[in-house]
Amino acid sequence: MAPTHTDKIEKASAAEPDLPRRRFLAWLSGAGMVGTLVTGVFASFAFMKPRTTYGEPSRFRIGRPEDFPSGARIAIDTKRVCIVRDGNKVAAISTTCTHLGCIVAPSETGFKCPSHGSQFDVDGNVTGGPAPKPLSWVAVTLTPNGELEVDKDNEVQTGSYLNV
Amino acid sequence: MSTEVKSKLKTWTDLPANVIKSVFRNPLPTSDRGRVATSFTNFFLHIQPVRFNRHSLRVSYTMGLGLISFFLFVILTVTGILLMFYYVPSTTQAYGRMLDLRSSVAFGVILRNMHRWAAHAMVATVFLHMCRVFFTGAYKPPREFNWNIGVALFLLTLLSSFTGYLLPWDQLAFWAITVGTSIAGYAPLVGKELRFMLLGDSTVGQEALLRFYVLHVVVLPLVLTIFAAVHFWRIRKDGGLSRPEPASAAPRAVAAEPEAPIAAVSTMAHAGTERRFVVQGLVRGPFVKVGKLEEDTVFSWPNLLIAELFVLLLTIAGVMLVSYFCNAPLEQPVNVMHPPNPAKAPWYFLGLQEQVSYSAFWGGVGVPGIELLLLVLIPYLDRGKAGIGRWFARERLLANSLFATFVIVNIGLIVIGTFFRGANWQFVSPF
Repeated sequence: MAPTHTDKIEKASAAEPDLPRRRFLAWLSGAGMVGTLVTGVFASFAFMKPRTTYGEPSRFRIGRPEDFPSGARIAIDTKRVCIVRDGNKVAAISTTCTHLGCIVAPSETGFKCPSHGSQFDVDGNVTGGPAPKPLSWVAVTLTPNGELEVDKDNEVQTGSYLNV
Repeated sequence: MSTEVKSKLKTWTDLPANVIKSVFRNPLPTSDRGRVATSFTNFFLHIQPVRFNRHSLRVSYTMGLGLISFFLFVILTVTGILLMFYYVPSTTQAYGRMLDLRSSVAFGVILRNMHRWAAHAMVATVFLHMCRVFFTGAYKPPREFNWNIGVALFLLTLLSSFTGYLLPWDQLAFWAITVGTSIAGYAPLVGKELRFMLLGDSTVGQEALLRFYVLHVVVLPLVLTIFAAVHFWRIRKDGGLSRPEPASAAPRAVAAEPEAPIAAVSTMAHAGTERRFVVQGLVRGPFVKVGKLEEDTVFSWPNLLIAELFVLLLTIAGVMLVSYFCNAPLEQPVNVMHPPNPAKAPWYFLGLQEQVSYSAFWGGVGVPGIELLLLVLIPYLDRGKAGIGRWFARERLLANSLFATFVIVNIGLIVIGTFFRGANWQFVSPF
């Protein structure tokens, strides 16, 4: 077979002298490109992750302990938290369903999610439905002027009450 | 009249013809050479080959699903840009703007309807297109990479539709996105972070609306356009649409009109006085064969063009018809305190939601992840050459059965999630 155009080109490239400087520059450019790409992607992700959010504050005051009589289980839907008072103990249970983020409602047996039928007992432990985790308990503290403050960023163990 | 005046006059009398000639280099073709030149010298037509295999025109083979998907995307782009003139991605204004489309914007309702129904239709046609490609074995070498571009396009279509779902800021939108993004939150390790970045907050709110808006109108359409361009390009570079091997394996007779593709080159060579064009590309495999014509090929102009325009008209007509009779849903404005019961994701994610109701991790992340991985790997695992270019080829019984199971199970889950799930996700009968 007669040599084709392709063969000629391949021969030509085989005969090309090895140029260390060219190879070095190519390597340097490649490293530069990859470096730029990696840092660019990293910076973009960092940029996309907000440092502050503009929604509901996760730390808020809910009133004085007297507002919650013993045995009360009052859900504050706007804050997505349920305030539980048992004697002189107060706690806050998140009402965001651990399944798909819907708002659970207090029921006679505990909590029920209207969306996918997850059920929880009064302490937020899963008793039925698809929820994978118990409802989280969040910290309640007493401010110096005697108000209750809930911090939803601060998850505490199930059964951690504040004595008032 | 002096000759000078005559030539001045001629400049003006010839002006319209000269303008047209400068835009369209060739008159409407009446010969094969003309058809080649028309395809070759027009920017929009040169995306297609000058000649293509007759088999590609068979409606029973392609059903035009890829084209329909693309034309739906075009409709979505046009209607979407128009809707952008009246939309504000703000939690206090978005819903009001939806109402304004009904009351105080000319053609506002029909535009929103078209956008909505075309979006739903595109999700469906892209999926059906994927089924067509699978059942005809069209993903096999050398088209493995294009199959995966297609898988990416399918995901981008889902994401585009999903991000658009939030924008009306009604109850349907809000809870569908709340549920949908929670599914994303189940991904191991990165799930929580991913959800937070997507929403820009821990719950769906103003930040999420703005983010979804930017993704929906800029990022995703841009990426989708690039992928679609690569998808189309690869169709040509992979040798056109898949088709069965010609019946006779005997060396194909070279058709006796060798001038056609060369004519494309030589026409150009004579068009300009000094320009000469030399073939510089290296041609191999299923690519363009200069000087040889494959059997069973026809000219793109007018065969392919007419077929495409016909599909475009059908697509527009279909979308218009549905949009005229059915209004896009708009529920009550968002009320964060009152989730509807049941809260449902968009229909194409209801299969996912149904799975999630059994197991949050496996239903939401595990099984879909494995399915996606298999979709990506199929063309590299199934290397057999038999049965390409025929629907449900007997040689591909196993692969087709597996894929059919995947399709039927997923459609079944979507049907259950859509029609058989009532309050508290209890099983209800729709009848």
